[in-house]
Amino acid sequence: MTIFVWILQLVLVPVTSPLCIGIIKKIKAKLQNRQGASIFQPYRDIWKLLHKDEVVSSDASWVFRYAPFIVFVVTIVVGASIPLFASFVNNTGVGDILVIVYALSIGTFFLALAGLDVGGGFGGFGSSREMTVSALAEGGFLFSLLTVALIAGTTNVFSISSSSMLVHGQSLLSITLAFVGFVIVLLAEAGRFPFDNPATHLELTMIHEAMILEYSGKRLALIEWASFNKLFIFFALGSNLFFSFGIAQGIGINAIAMGISALFIKVFIFCLIIAILESSTAKFRFFRLPDLLMTSFILNVVAISLIR
Amino acid sequence: MLLEIVFLTIVFSHITRKNFGAVLAYSMQSLAIAMVIFNSFLLTGATSLLFIASLVLLVKVIMVPFFLARLIQRHEIKFSVSTYLNVPLTLISIAGLVAVAHSRKFAPLTSIVPANQLLLSLALSAMLLSFFLIINRKGAISQIIGILSLENSIVAFAIFAGLEQSFSLQVGIVSDVFIWFIIATALAFMIYKHFGSLEVTSMKQLKD
Amino acid sequence: MFNTLIPQVSFVVLLSFFGVGAIGALLFRKNDVISNGWSSFFAIIGSLWGLFFSIVTIIAGHNLSFVVGKSSFPRLALSFHIDTLAGFFIFVISLISLFCSIYGIGYIKHFYKKYDIGVFCFFYHLFIAGMLLVVSASNGIFFLIAWEIMSVASYFLVVYDRNEEENVKAGFLYLIMTHVGTAFIILALLLAYKFTGSFDFETIKLGAGLIPLSVKNIIFVFAMIGFGTKAGIIPFHIWLPSAHPAAPSHVSALMSGVMIKTGIYMMIRIFLDILQPIPVWWGLALLIVGSISSLLGVLYALTEHDIKRLLAYHSIENIGIILLGVGSALTFLSLGMPQFALLGLVAALFHTLNHAIFKSLLFLSAGSVINQMHTRNMEEYGGLIRYMPQTAMFFLIGSMAISALPPFNGFFSEWLTFQSLFQGVALSGFYGTWFFIVAAGSLAFTGGLALACFVKAFGVSFLARPRSAEVAHAKESSFSLRLGMWALATLSLLFGIFSGRITLILQEIGRGLTIFKNVPSFIVVSSRQSIAVGNDFSFVSAPIFFSFLIVTFLLVMFVMHFLINRNQKVKVGATWDCGTDLTPRMEITATGFSRSIILIFKGVLRPSIQHETEYHDSESRYLSRSRTVVLGVQDVYQAHFYQPLRKAIRTLSLRVKDIQSGNINLYISYIFIALIIALFSVL
Repeated sequence: MTIFVWILQLVLVPVTSPLCIGIIKKIKAKLQNRQGASIFQPYRDIWKLLHKDEVVSSDASWVFRYAPFIVFVVTIVVGASIPLFASFVNNTGVGDILVIVYALSIGTFFLALAGLDVGGGFGGFGSSREMTVSALAEGGFLFSLLTVALIAGTTNVFSISSSSMLVHGQSLLSITLAFVGFVIVLLAEAGRFPFDNPATHLELTMIHEAMILEYSGKRLALIEWASFNKLFIFFALGSNLFFSFGIAQGIGINAIAMGISALFIKVFIFCLIIAILESSTAKFRFFRLPDLLMTSFILNVVAISLIR
Repeated sequence: MLLEIVFLTIVFSHITRKNFGAVLAYSMQSLAIAMVIFNSFLLTGATSLLFIASLVLLVKVIMVPFFLARLIQRHEIKFSVSTYLNVPLTLISIAGLVAVAHSRKFAPLTSIVPANQLLLSLALSAMLLSFFLIINRKGAISQIIGILSLENSIVAFAIFAGLEQSFSLQVGIVSDVFIWFIIATALAFMIYKHFGSLEVTSMKQLKD
Repeated sequence: MFNTLIPQVSFVVLLSFFGVGAIGALLFRKNDVISNGWSSFFAIIGSLWGLFFSIVTIIAGHNLSFVVGKSSFPRLALSFHIDTLAGFFIFVISLISLFCSIYGIGYIKHFYKKYDIGVFCFFYHLFIAGMLLVVSASNGIFFLIAWEIMSVASYFLVVYDRNEEENVKAGFLYLIMTHVGTAFIILALLLAYKFTGSFDFETIKLGAGLIPLSVKNIIFVFAMIGFGTKAGIIPFHIWLPSAHPAAPSHVSALMSGVMIKTGIYMMIRIFLDILQPIPVWWGLALLIVGSISSLLGVLYALTEHDIKRLLAYHSIENIGIILLGVGSALTFLSLGMPQFALLGLVAALFHTLNHAIFKSLLFLSAGSVINQMHTRNMEEYGGLIRYMPQTAMFFLIGSMAISALPPFNGFFSEWLTFQSLFQGVALSGFYGTWFFIVAAGSLAFTGGLALACFVKAFGVSFLARPRSAEVAHAKESSFSLRLGMWALATLSLLFGIFSGRITLILQEIGRGLTIFKNVPSFIVVSSRQSIAVGNDFSFVSAPIFFSFLIVTFLLVMFVMHFLINRNQKVKVGATWDCGTDLTPRMEITATGFSRSIILIFKGVLRPSIQHETEYHDSESRYLSRSRTVVLGVQDVYQAHFYQPLRKAIRTLSLRVKDIQSGNINLYISYIFIALIIALFSVL
């Protein structure tokens, strides 16, 4: 039984994340009065890319060639280290909030280096922008996780998700503020509006896309899949740390089934929120983004001070 | 009584306008000091004191004034040049310094040998006056005399404070005088050659 | 008796190795190769001996106090006190000097025939010996002598490459700043002497209760300024960015990795050991100083495109992080929570060790690059990964370690620092919680900004196409250079994976200090090497993370290569160039990379931009012939702090010069007045 739980924990993120992206695109299409592609289209895209030939730049070094693997592996490792449907998987020693924040930074680091490696102008400034946004988002990210950690009395994410948050009625305001801060960081790190437009074709407006401009074939598939994974990881963190209803506390088929369905419902709500956000607002000018990120940080500081 | 002579000679050096007079005053002063040391020898019977007395006699009373006189003659500096403070103010300062030396503040210093308190105060005032001579006068000869009389007053102070037995004092006096006066004459010579006069203020040109 | 005598003797032997090395190098200075060989041999042997000695001291928990010989001066006693803390710092010094000396064997060859190698090796040995004396001295005056030896020897090493004008200027600034710091240290020691009657550290510690609180506060401020100047906290850091690049690379590594830590050592010694008990605001002040130094350090590093200056500013940043640990330790101790304080101290010590390792690694690899490229300007690098692949790998490992990416060692020491700060944030009913929040926030931002800076440093230097023709002439570093760097890189990884074991050892070292003698353990390391803090408030396991990462990586690689992608071909083509020619100008520059961040922080950094255009016809100003853009960052410390100070001193000096009028009578009247006053006051 435990083996089954472990395997599920490991593969849930990579398997489900393309579906999540598909749902977002479908909702956006419906809001724009289109039919839109099927929600399983991202799976087909990844499959197609995995079987294509590749062209690698002559200026690229091993950093370019291996970065997709490193980025993808990082998302799998982090995905397996956060509470998805069960909160009893907590003795792995990698479920610490700092480990999650910095492990995701490994991915950012190598992606930025890959962007620089090809020596094209777009990759360069894509990396520059990505590092700027990521550096400023780290404060907000860490502090939002810290707020819930302080409320729950532990920094292990599984233990946080297992302590029922809303029992602590007096911390409701803190949790809400921290959640708002977390959502801003989610948008920043996953490259959604208003930080970055994932569907843009204009290189000068790209952040994430600009770094991966030179990739093709299976490496591109891995990077795209990794970014889907990252979004799903953030969704899972947001759902299970702040509103941990329905998460499986003990091992048992019913509990796990309920945990998985609770997760899907929460992720679906997130997808809805993201899709509506992307259809109703425009992308911000780049130099307005730091203000937004500092707002997230300040909200979290206020949340911590209100914990008493 | 000898100490009064010392004191008066210093006051005289302050007032006199002729260099020669100052030199003469100095030689009188040294003679008085020699007599004091001789007196002390007669009292204690230490032969070193006799030796010292004769040395002082030889050097300070005869040789130094002689050399100074030769210096004056060669360079024809008969008259001592002006001072910073005019005569009335000089006298007032002298009076002030003497009063300070005799004051109660300096009592611990001058009461080393209570019997000689007045004498010690006198010696102290002689010291202070010599210092003032150096400061007040602009001519190099007067300043040389001032330093030499400072030395004499220190010797006087030491003798009356009962320190005359210390060998280091005596040796110090003698060698000090010898070397000092050699250097002083050489320096005066060179200054004169360079600046054309022995006026100390012309050394201001050396300032950066 | 034999047992107790051996450590003393072995310490003296340790010092003598460096002494012999120094003198021998000077004797052989006519022959470059022999002096290099002699000095390297003794440096390596000495470092190994030092490593051995310190490990024995730490494991056996020795607490040695001994006096060597008798000095002829009344208050000076050649007394040493080596407890586990000093043993730890001796370990750090020996470790880094071992690898730097190995690196130096090959590096010094570049100075053959140009300068005097024997003199260099003499000062090198003197420098290391000075540092060893500093961390083990137990008498105030002896300490000052050792401090002075260390500073002056490092001055000579900094100005060694004296053909460059700016090196000499940098050395001069360094000398002035270090002596200003030493002046403050002397004042602090004198104040302590006045109230406890002795210069001996042990005696001062016993008599610390005799010192009134106001004087203790003054001693704190003076000691912080004095040792902070050596450690490089803002705003006393101005010598660091010029002096560290000027020195030869392995000396830079030693200075940056070890010498500035001696300032930290003395701060720990004085604040945590000698002057206890202390008021709360000391720890909070150190937290603020640490936050400011770390944030500003990394921001200034982002503005640099001279690779060694960039690394120097990162040293300032990491000193800030270490001070966060020390500050939290001081605060908790004053609040009566010694186990939290022990956590903070362990975090600071671990970060000291880690920073020494990865900063030296970075300086050594930067030195190799500079040796090949003959310039420190990053804008002329590019594509070096093709010509110097191993050096690039070592620089990458160093970058990952300094950006606190797991599983390297930097992450774990920052993790521990974060834990101690989190404990502070979790305190209730204490106004100081805000200081901890500020500190934690600055640490979080510092981590992110450091990551950005090293993406820039590594990416611009090693990746993409060469930006200048010189790159094509670059060759891989020679064997000894690579050996030194390889060892440090491996240590970086190993200290990360075995951080649990090391944390336990550091906790024992912390317990060697009197105040922590019987403190219960706040950090528990499980059998599976997972570090747990405070009843499972947090725990992390390094080996598990590392193995998880590696296993998954291999799995994915296997699946990708063999299961999915068997028949696909990989073609090599040119980067997409939008139809133009690919020139180095198309790549992003180091300045451009960080310009966004600089503009975001323009309140602090005050960037400036100047345009200059030259026209073909100055009358009509239509066609421009050339256009120059100068991007700059204002040096706020020079402008607002040091320049006004300099001007004030200069004005004062000019006024005082008037005393010297040139008039002899005036001078003698000075003497006369002084005599009268003296007589008056005495009688």
